[in-house]
Amino acid sequence: MSDAVSTERPIVVTAQILEPSPGALMRRRIFGHTGFMIGIVVLATIFFMAIFAPLISPGDPYDQVLSRKLIPPIWHDSAKATWEHPLGTDLLGRDYLTRLFYGARISLLIGFAAMLISGVIGTTLGVIAGYFGGRVDMVVNFIITTRLSMPVVLVALAVVSLVGSSLAMVIWVLGLLIWDRFAVVMRSATMQVRNLDFVTSAQAVGCSTPRILFAEIMPNIANSLIVIATIEMAHAILLEAALSFLGLGVQPPEPSWGLMIAEAKGMMFFDAWLIAIPGAALFALVLAINLLGDGIRDVTAPENRN
Amino acid sequence: MNFSKLMMTAAVGVMMAFGANDAMAGKADDTLNWSTTREIAVIDPYYNNTRELVVMGHMGWDGLVFRDIDTGEFKPLLASSWEWKGDTAIEVNLRNDVKFHDGSEFDADDVVYTLNHVSNKDNGVLTYRNVSWIKNAEKLGSHKVQINLKKPFPPAFAYLANAVFIMPSGHYDSAPTKADGKKDFAAVAPVGTGPYKVADSKAGEYVLMEKNDAYMSGSPKGAPQIGKMRFRTIAESNTQLAELLTGGLDWIWDVPKDQAERLAENPAVTIENAKTFRISYMAFDVDGDSGTDVFTKKKVRQAVAHAIDRKAIAVNLVGPASEVIHSACHPDQFGCTQDVTKYDHDPAKAKALLAEAGYPNGFEFDIYGYRQREFTEAVIGDLAKVGIKAKLNWLQYRALRDIVRKGETPINHMTWGSYSIPDVSAIVSHFFTHGPDDPAKDAETKGYLDIADSSIDEAVRKENYKKAFERIASEVYWLPMFTYAKYYAYSKDLDFKATPDEIPRFYTAKWK
Amino acid sequence: MLIYAVKRFGIAILVALTVSVLSFSMIYLSGDPAIALAGEGASQEDIENVRRVYGFDRPIIFQYVDWLLNALSGNLGHSNYLKSDVASVIFERLPTTMILGACALGFALILSIPLGVLAAIRPNSLIDRIALTIAVIGQAMPSFWFALTLILWFSITWRLLPITGTGSWLNFIMPSIALGYYVTPAVMRLTRAGMMEVLSSDYIRTARAKGLRPATVLFKHALRNAIIPVVSLAAVQFGFMLGGSIVIETIFAINGLGFLAWESIQRADLPMMQAIVLVLSVFYIVLTFLADMLNAFLDPRIRVS
Repeated sequence: MSDAVSTERPIVVTAQILEPSPGALMRRRIFGHTGFMIGIVVLATIFFMAIFAPLISPGDPYDQVLSRKLIPPIWHDSAKATWEHPLGTDLLGRDYLTRLFYGARISLLIGFAAMLISGVIGTTLGVIAGYFGGRVDMVVNFIITTRLSMPVVLVALAVVSLVGSSLAMVIWVLGLLIWDRFAVVMRSATMQVRNLDFVTSAQAVGCSTPRILFAEIMPNIANSLIVIATIEMAHAILLEAALSFLGLGVQPPEPSWGLMIAEAKGMMFFDAWLIAIPGAALFALVLAINLLGDGIRDVTAPENRN
Repeated sequence: MNFSKLMMTAAVGVMMAFGANDAMAGKADDTLNWSTTREIAVIDPYYNNTRELVVMGHMGWDGLVFRDIDTGEFKPLLASSWEWKGDTAIEVNLRNDVKFHDGSEFDADDVVYTLNHVSNKDNGVLTYRNVSWIKNAEKLGSHKVQINLKKPFPPAFAYLANAVFIMPSGHYDSAPTKADGKKDFAAVAPVGTGPYKVADSKAGEYVLMEKNDAYMSGSPKGAPQIGKMRFRTIAESNTQLAELLTGGLDWIWDVPKDQAERLAENPAVTIENAKTFRISYMAFDVDGDSGTDVFTKKKVRQAVAHAIDRKAIAVNLVGPASEVIHSACHPDQFGCTQDVTKYDHDPAKAKALLAEAGYPNGFEFDIYGYRQREFTEAVIGDLAKVGIKAKLNWLQYRALRDIVRKGETPINHMTWGSYSIPDVSAIVSHFFTHGPDDPAKDAETKGYLDIADSSIDEAVRKENYKKAFERIASEVYWLPMFTYAKYYAYSKDLDFKATPDEIPRFYTAKWK
Repeated sequence: MLIYAVKRFGIAILVALTVSVLSFSMIYLSGDPAIALAGEGASQEDIENVRRVYGFDRPIIFQYVDWLLNALSGNLGHSNYLKSDVASVIFERLPTTMILGACALGFALILSIPLGVLAAIRPNSLIDRIALTIAVIGQAMPSFWFALTLILWFSITWRLLPITGTGSWLNFIMPSIALGYYVTPAVMRLTRAGMMEVLSSDYIRTARAKGLRPATVLFKHALRNAIIPVVSLAAVQFGFMLGGSIVIETIFAINGLGFLAWESIQRADLPMMQAIVLVLSVFYIVLTFLADMLNAFLDPRIRVS
């Protein structure tokens, strides 16, 4: 079952015939990789929106004017549409574009923080298991199996509902739940690396175990780590959206994209743009992260290509 | 429960999953399909205090009297006539031509049994306030009883009409025993005298009611028209809408304003906005139990009152039938008055008051809510404009009520439906006579209320309620917000009229 | 094989025990379980009574052992809200969710295995790109949005499918698609990767060299081997779907285990929550155990190692 999660499909890139310098080769791989480039550009745009939200937003994300609610976006053929609110206003009359910018911050924060927490837990467990093997491996495997057998959404909902919902709580719960893929992949990656010459020679010259782990093992499994990190970041963002849909995600008035979708869901059948705008943003973000992950794998590990 | 039994249940479940025949298209098969988001596990108006059971209570059961919603007049229902014997006793003559759904005759024993059962606190009726005024009932004849009150209780008939349903004698005796040794009265199968009887149900899924063909003649409820009423739980409101639009449901309510307005454009659906007895209010942590002492300061409470644009919320978010209120009661209730200290929407004044109270830059606190998140969000938005940062804590009603009672909420934004009782005692006396929900435990307020609650002189009652309302308003223990208005959406085929008390009279509905 | 099976079984039991400890400890997350269980308007006296009757005043380890022994004999407690035995409610609702899970898995396999195979035969072709697109979209779209869009198109606009209920097989189409779509990417990627690996292996080359028909090579030799990891993935995903059906069941008003879980969470029905987590986890453990066994049976290399 450990195969279950290491199934990411390598994107096939036609083999290079001429072998130029490694740097040029890398550049060519990067710029020649459409998916990677799309991912990078979209993600950079979203990061830009998040970081400069206070500067580029037309308004204040919390500023409600109930009398000007549900103004449609400018591309709508409606007398109410105005350039003052290019993407319209939400159910409480708050500027939608502004909330989208600020929402990028929260969605990225959730994805990144949850990924970091799960990454630390999962990588630690995986590397230890893969490097030491034997009993240690058995114990870690056992922990992973136990974790996998608990249904994520259900446990997350139950815990958040019993303990109370807040941004920090959502991040911690997700972070503590989704480390399994890190552990599984890091474990097998470490196993592959640990018997290679440079590791055995480091052991032979008497390097300390932490040194071997950090200086020899980690750099060589870093690319798989980054790939999993992107997948889990996307995973965390989607899970938060699902929690928000059920009313147990980030609490209003904070604008996470998941929450914006959840708040707009009542108008799904009437004003579809209200859900489509944050939905498209979320979709683009998750897609970009996934493309980036696939791209990094292809670019950094050409030997994995078929 | 052993495993072979479990497997049997599972096998039955498989068959049900494929075999159950979901009723569709209401008018064609004479079934009114209605839905709310709530699961119903207990079909008993005393042991399930949800709105759904208030509605079903009037369908499945009858009270002794009936309150005419238009005139406010009490009419005979199971009682044929009555007479006050002093301040604390009512003599009631009963109809002798009524049968329960199980075929048994209705007589004085049933009334005596029911009233004595529910008024006994040990029997754990959920909304004990509804029956706590009853001391006991005595049989005077085969169809004659006397109801004794603990003390003079002027709104007795409002409660008799709205919250006291008659069960057959011995009804709760068959209740199973729970693990803690107590009887589980909620588990008894429903039997009443009402225009509809429960034909089939599955806890948490549906309740199917059928027309009671033997319903008593000459009832002010009228003769039931539609053959079957099927309640289903649909938790997702979009799904409810979709079902209504495609004919899978005939009736829903609690449709948010924006959706209702757009839904009104659909020719297959009728939209109605009706008043309810529910009001929205904010209660302050007046005595500082919650860990923050800001709301112990009256000026801060006044500032909050001035900061919130209640009118804008009522108009833009609630609906045309909603109105802003200033006292802790619903305007349609007996004894309610709006002639109290009022706090207009005035952010500048709010800021000034905050500065006077020592918070020129505002402060942060936790606000708690459970119903219609957008209303509470609008409150948070208004508070932000005067510099007060409210952090939202969204909880389920039961969870919230528990912590409100522990005094842990700096502000709770909640609602109260008064169980549709048209008398202010159902709200202000619940909250301000030092009960568990009392935010202030103010002796002066309680003094006025105690006089008003036990007097049978209407003028005395009105005067003392007014004093209590003024005290609550001037001290700002509560900020009364607005009355709820409910959007109903139902099939064009359905001849239905919403009433201003949030109790849909399905027994009067018919097909067009 | 027997030794391998016994070892696997032992691990499965240990995992199940650990999960039971975790589910049990959930009741303490909310603070005092006696208050939570006493519920609606309980007096201090009632709470003390509950504490005594349920034994919350005893050491936790005794409470756990009692709970576990009860659970093993099929007694998962009593739901105060539904007025019913937790076990019977769960086993009544489980089949609906299982059917939904099976349909969703069926949909996912029917969509993803052929696509995966075709993509592997012709890497970088149009079909490979389409497969990739489906996979990527599947990973990036929130499930509730997808489900509501299905309702909007198939039920409201085109009036083709019923929205709620479980009365006929038509009711299961939209929920199965909505739930199964999220499993598609993983299965497709695995099928594709497995196929590519097998197709470049020596024995396939040999088979081709012998002049066997391409279809025979593909289906009889290649797919059979490439499908082995897919079997175990499918089992695992089935377990995931049972847990992930909460959102889908809520939207389509399907009275299965997922919806029950959500409602129980909302009303803090602790015995029910504990039991659902336990049942789903055990179900998953059983599935993975069976998948492991099946794998070992199909692939002798596993049981030797």
